[in-house]
Amino acid sequence: MAGPDVSTLGEFEHVVLLAILRLGDEAYAVAVRDEILERTGRDVSRGSIYITLDRLETKGYLRSHLADPTPERGGRAKRYYTLRPRAVEALKESRRALVALWRGLESVLA
Amino acid sequence: MSARLPRGVEALLRRLLPGDLVEPIAGDLLEEYLDARARRGAPRAHVWVWWQAIRLAATLRWDRAAHGRPLPPIGDDLRATGSVWDSIRQDVIFGARMLRRQPGFTAVALVALSLGIGASTAMFSIVDAALWRPLPFPRADRIMSLAEQRPREGRWFGPIAPADFFDWRRDNRSFSALAAYMSQPISRPVSYNLTGTGEPERVRALQASPAFLGVLGISPVVGRDFRPEEEIFGRHRVVLLADSLWRRRFGADPSIVGRAISFDGAPYEVIGLLPARFWWPSAPEVIVPLALEDSDRALRSAHFLDAIGRLRDGVSEQQARDDLRAVGVRLAAAFPAENARHAPNFRSLRDALVGDVRPALLILLGAVAFVMLIACANVATLLLARAAGRQRELSVRRALGATRGRVVQQMLTESVAIALAGGAAGLLLAAWCLAVFRAIVPAQLAGLPGIAGVGLDGRALAAALALSTASGLIFGVLPALAASDRRLGSSLAEETRGASGGARAHRLRSTFVVAELALSLVLLAGAALLILSFRNLMNVSPGFQPRRILTAQVTLPWSRYPDHTRTMAFFDALYERLGAAPRVERVAATTSLPFDGADSRLNFEIEHRTLDSPTPVRVHPRLVSPGYFSTMGIPVVRGRGFTEHDDASSVQVAIVNEAAARRYWPGDDPIGQRISIGAPDRWLQIVGIVGDTRHEGLDADTDPAAYLPQRQPFTSLGAGFERSMAIVVRTDADVAAMAATIRGAVAGVDALLPIGMVRPMTDLIDESVASRRLDFMLVSAFALVAVVLTAAGLYGVMAYVVVQRTREIGVRMALGATRAKVLALMFRQAGALTAVGVALGVVGALLLTRSMTSLLFGVSAADPIVLVLVSSLLTLVAVAAVAIPSSRATRIDPLVALRD
Repeated sequence: MAGPDVSTLGEFEHVVLLAILRLGDEAYAVAVRDEILERTGRDVSRGSIYITLDRLETKGYLRSHLADPTPERGGRAKRYYTLRPRAVEALKESRRALVALWRGLESVLA
Repeated sequence: MSARLPRGVEALLRRLLPGDLVEPIAGDLLEEYLDARARRGAPRAHVWVWWQAIRLAATLRWDRAAHGRPLPPIGDDLRATGSVWDSIRQDVIFGARMLRRQPGFTAVALVALSLGIGASTAMFSIVDAALWRPLPFPRADRIMSLAEQRPREGRWFGPIAPADFFDWRRDNRSFSALAAYMSQPISRPVSYNLTGTGEPERVRALQASPAFLGVLGISPVVGRDFRPEEEIFGRHRVVLLADSLWRRRFGADPSIVGRAISFDGAPYEVIGLLPARFWWPSAPEVIVPLALEDSDRALRSAHFLDAIGRLRDGVSEQQARDDLRAVGVRLAAAFPAENARHAPNFRSLRDALVGDVRPALLILLGAVAFVMLIACANVATLLLARAAGRQRELSVRRALGATRGRVVQQMLTESVAIALAGGAAGLLLAAWCLAVFRAIVPAQLAGLPGIAGVGLDGRALAAALALSTASGLIFGVLPALAASDRRLGSSLAEETRGASGGARAHRLRSTFVVAELALSLVLLAGAALLILSFRNLMNVSPGFQPRRILTAQVTLPWSRYPDHTRTMAFFDALYERLGAAPRVERVAATTSLPFDGADSRLNFEIEHRTLDSPTPVRVHPRLVSPGYFSTMGIPVVRGRGFTEHDDASSVQVAIVNEAAARRYWPGDDPIGQRISIGAPDRWLQIVGIVGDTRHEGLDADTDPAAYLPQRQPFTSLGAGFERSMAIVVRTDADVAAMAATIRGAVAGVDALLPIGMVRPMTDLIDESVASRRLDFMLVSAFALVAVVLTAAGLYGVMAYVVVQRTREIGVRMALGATRAKVLALMFRQAGALTAVGVALGVVGALLLTRSMTSLLFGVSAADPIVLVLVSSLLTLVAVAAVAIPSSRATRIDPLVALRD
């Protein structure tokens, strides 16, 4: 599995990566879930968010760090996620492939 | 507001989530939990966060397991928990393998447990439905069943006289509503002739005060309830249909409401439909207002109503009791002749419905609990035997570092697994038992709440699960402790030597067997007492010849038979037609058939005499047709029976039974004397004395009765008493074949008249003893299972002893012991166990069978012969169980025993 490969990026992984990209420095699990809900209307389970974040990190698309504990969270740290370059490449590749496939179909599916 | 997750959620996450995920996920959840708490309140947030935590833990663990990906290290807590789960999983797998390898042990244990759990679950379902589940009415605990008590007759909950009911209703201040209904035995509900659409048929009817549904807290689903004025005679022709009749007869057509249907030839307007879930013991298909004519409303000496009432909010039972007692005292003062010895009484509707069935049900539940205990003891002895065989395996485990707790855990896991498997099989057995029970449920039980549809439900499943788990722990824990209690190494050595090791485990097994013997003896004694009672009961003569008699119920409608003349014209034609039919020997009729449950009682007077009796002077008045005594086979002891000439134009006559003659004319001749029944100054001349018949049951005493000719109008019980008769036909052929003859004869006289309740007289008697039969059959079945399990347990112990003492016996035989001596040795050991078990059982039986007194008939709970018999029987079974292993002991070859 060398290099960015669209086939390794599942649809939901795709959605999660875009949400993290949109959130910038504020991407932690709750915010990711809210962003997906707000943008797509999809109410996804918390479990699938954690699983996907975990999986993307293992695959080397994400890096995470624990922020300093805050009192409003009972002194617990948030785990923030940011995209590794590999993820940006994968997203670009995926977009390119989709756009190529879409071309000429606008009139059919409009 | 504390910034903390609810207690438990945190622990759950720590326990189940991978260690590196706990911090951020707990933080995220807390953030959302606080938000939810602020927006939706603490309780909902609480539920929400628990649900999320469980979902998260499950999803993440599942994902981890499914992918087996290398993930960050798991916290120590989780590792520890994981190992407990893993070890249980290992134990289950290992235990299953052991069980498969010992199919004999597994089969015996499973059969014992499934019998115990199955019987217990089935019995629990029945008792739960009848005694413990709330009745299907809103706030059912506030509904009381009212009755009239007559302490001097020992009668605490008798039917109520109409005038008394109306006075109670007017004067009490404790009930928000009172409703009366016609008192009727469940075995013989009041029924109406429904004609008009399709075949004429009899439908079960309940005549109840307009407030009836209101007291129960139920409203019609379509249409309206009765109005108060609809209990006035003449305005009462309205009817509520039950769901079943509405669907069956009227095709579930809602437009039936508002239309008229024909009951007993009179039009009744359908005003509403009852809910499908409506339940009442007599399962009425229609409810009509209880509308009494003015003369009947004023009756104070004829008791034929039952009543229910709903306690007002805030009124306690005691307040209601005081209130009603005061009402009763006023009535007794105002009407001393009728009410001096009467008073209102009430109990909860549940108690009234369950009545005297409660002790029988509880005794059956107790008996089944005994079977369960025996099954547990049985499996425990099996487990002990098995543990003895596994001593080496367990010792190796201990030697390899397993703690005692770990070994106990393994043994318990296995026993609980066996119990759960037994429980699953038991559930199947219970479902089957309940299906059989629903099919054969005796009439006395059919009216209990929830019995008609009794089956396995959530409560029964929960009970079976709890029972299985608890029994697995109970019968597993002692063997597990015994098996694990070995000093390291000792049993490794012991086992190789093959000496009679495991003395403690053996003692434990002996204890279990003694317990089984004792419990079995109690069950056997109970079963024997019930069997004897039933035999005694069946030997009681009913006082007539029930064989080859077929009975049928005929009720003439008011509309077409408004007077005595027309009524008698019908019956005369019917008697003539039936009498001429082939294979009919005799035909007659009565208002009150023995064992039918229907009867009335009235005060009576003897001319020129004041009866000075401690109990009220009452007889059962029964109208009969001329041939009644000869048809039934009731002997006319003195005087004469009735003839066709005892009619409206002749002298009014009566015939009393021997019980009445004995009680009211001791040493005197009643024949020729005059009595009046329920109606002062209407004198009837006694012309004969007939033999006593059992009426309410073979176990019930015969009360004084007065037979009156059907042809002479009798109005003390309301007009038209003679219109509802039970026809009795004696045949020389098969009774079942006579049903068509009766139907044909009735149709030949009046084609619109349906007949109901066509039953052989012997069926009526059988039904009257059906619940006793069920009691003794169930307890006998339980006792049989108990004895078989006990025999198996005893056999197991002795077989084990033989194996353990092989070497010793070999030595003895080598030194010249004879086979007889070896046998004696074995039997001494078994005999000691049996003697202790039987002795304890006899004590237990003496203590426990006393609770059965109400179910016994003609035998004392402490009957010495019964105890001797069952003790001998159990001893015989014990000898048989010991014989096989003992004979094996005598065949031991000393050479082989010493060499091995």
